[in-house]
Amino acid sequence: MNTFLRVLSSERLKMSKSHLWLLALVSPALALLVGILTKIEPDMPAYPLLLSTMCLFHSLLFLPILTGVYSSFICRYEHVGGGWKALLALPVSRTSVFFAKFLIVAVMLIFTQLLFLGSYVGAAVYHGVSEPFPWAMITRSIIGGWVACLPLAALQLGVSLRWVSFAAPLVVNVIFTVPNILVVNSDKIRPYYPWAQPIQAMMPPNTAASGPLGMNLPFESLMITVVGSFILFLAAGLVYFNRQEI
Amino acid sequence: MNNYVIRTNGLTKSYRGRAAVDGLNLEIKKGEIYGFLGPNGAGKTTTIRMLLGLIRPTKGTVEILGKDLQKDKINILRRVGSLVEYPSYYGHLTAIENLEAIRRILNVPKSRIDEVLEIVSLTKEAKRAVKGYSLGMKQRLGIASALLGSPELLILDEPTNGLDPSGIHEIRELIKRMPQEHGITVLVSSHLLGEVEQMAGTVGIIREGRMVFQDTIVNLRQKAAGGINISLSEPESALWLAKDNGLAGMVQDGKLYFDGINDNQVAGLVKRLVENGHLIYRVEERNKSLEDIFMEVIGEVKSL
Repeated sequence: MNTFLRVLSSERLKMSKSHLWLLALVSPALALLVGILTKIEPDMPAYPLLLSTMCLFHSLLFLPILTGVYSSFICRYEHVGGGWKALLALPVSRTSVFFAKFLIVAVMLIFTQLLFLGSYVGAAVYHGVSEPFPWAMITRSIIGGWVACLPLAALQLGVSLRWVSFAAPLVVNVIFTVPNILVVNSDKIRPYYPWAQPIQAMMPPNTAASGPLGMNLPFESLMITVVGSFILFLAAGLVYFNRQEI
Repeated sequence: MNNYVIRTNGLTKSYRGRAAVDGLNLEIKKGEIYGFLGPNGAGKTTTIRMLLGLIRPTKGTVEILGKDLQKDKINILRRVGSLVEYPSYYGHLTAIENLEAIRRILNVPKSRIDEVLEIVSLTKEAKRAVKGYSLGMKQRLGIASALLGSPELLILDEPTNGLDPSGIHEIRELIKRMPQEHGITVLVSSHLLGEVEQMAGTVGIIREGRMVFQDTIVNLRQKAAGGINISLSEPESALWLAKDNGLAGMVQDGKLYFDGINDNQVAGLVKRLVENGHLIYRVEERNKSLEDIFMEVIGEVKSL
């Protein structure tokens, strides 16, 4: 545990001057713009409507792509000039390095989600929505979206460790993210498609206001799939990294 | 306990049935500088990766500081500093921040950072981003990182690769000081004999994954002692005169070459040649290259 904390603190230092956090601003900023431009009909519940429009781009495209970017970025410095050799010849276990990197990605994702929450509140204030703030719905959306990103983060971290390259895992990630647009229309595939899990977790529950993308799979069953695939990807990445020849 | 810092037993690494390192028995004593020599692709880096636990041996064992690497990896690595192939650094950070990133893992006092910067003379440049450093400075920073944890053993893989002569000189002087001033045992690999022979006490020569020579540098020098080249007006007839003097030589590129002859023999031969009207242009010592020594050593291995 001690080693893990020390590795974590070292990783944090490496990332602290990387300006990666600037990327986290992009999606929430766009979401704010979408939120402001959303037309709110007086007879519709404003909060679910705002959430579904703002979520759309954020969780359908940006969030899965950002997950890949964070995972690639956290391995980037080690990919350059034999960094893995230097890092792993220090008295650290590979498991602690893996978890430290994963934790940084997870924290970056929750940071992104909190910025999105800020955008959401901002858009609601802009429209002067008078309904009581839907804490339950928004908490579930923000936290659920974050949790739904974790299997993908574990998968992408595994891919980034496998390929000594910054760009290749990113390209793969984008290639798998784009079909989201189709995948979300299929009730059968979408719960199991890691790139489509964030949007399903973030969209408001199936109501008239959430439109055609309202997800009818119960939140709980989705989370079971998410947690299951998270454990699978994390274990696979960890086992692989521990055996990898550096 | 024994006084070996590194000892490997039948260390082997195969890739798809081909042995990159084959039955290596390294023996490195405490407080010495061990030069690990071999042409590129001979298996030096593969061996070093196994010594650092970065790859697993196919066969054989590694014992470092008296402990089995497989069982005690983290404890051993705490006492070992290393620099493998290229110095690794985080370009967007300064030298101090780079060292701090490693210091946090090693959990040594902050004062060590200033100490190692002082040792490699980077104190003045310490607050600059490392991406603006010259290769020599990066290499020195690499050594500083390796020294940060006050190691008992330093493993340096081709530390002078790509450096200019003054950079090579700096690194060499730095390495020489390690056993004397800090009591550190050093393993340094290189593909150039000339580079290692000026600092190492013992050398191991590896070729195609096998150790072909492991002994002191003094013994290697004896093997490497070259012959004498004589360039003169009529090499062919001079060769007969030499034979008459009891010296077997040969003609190479229009010069006479004699292997392993002593000063008296050279003097006698030159006198005889001059007396017989040969014009002698040059008498020079020809040192054997590492490759020549390899061939010699391998020849011996085969004839055994």
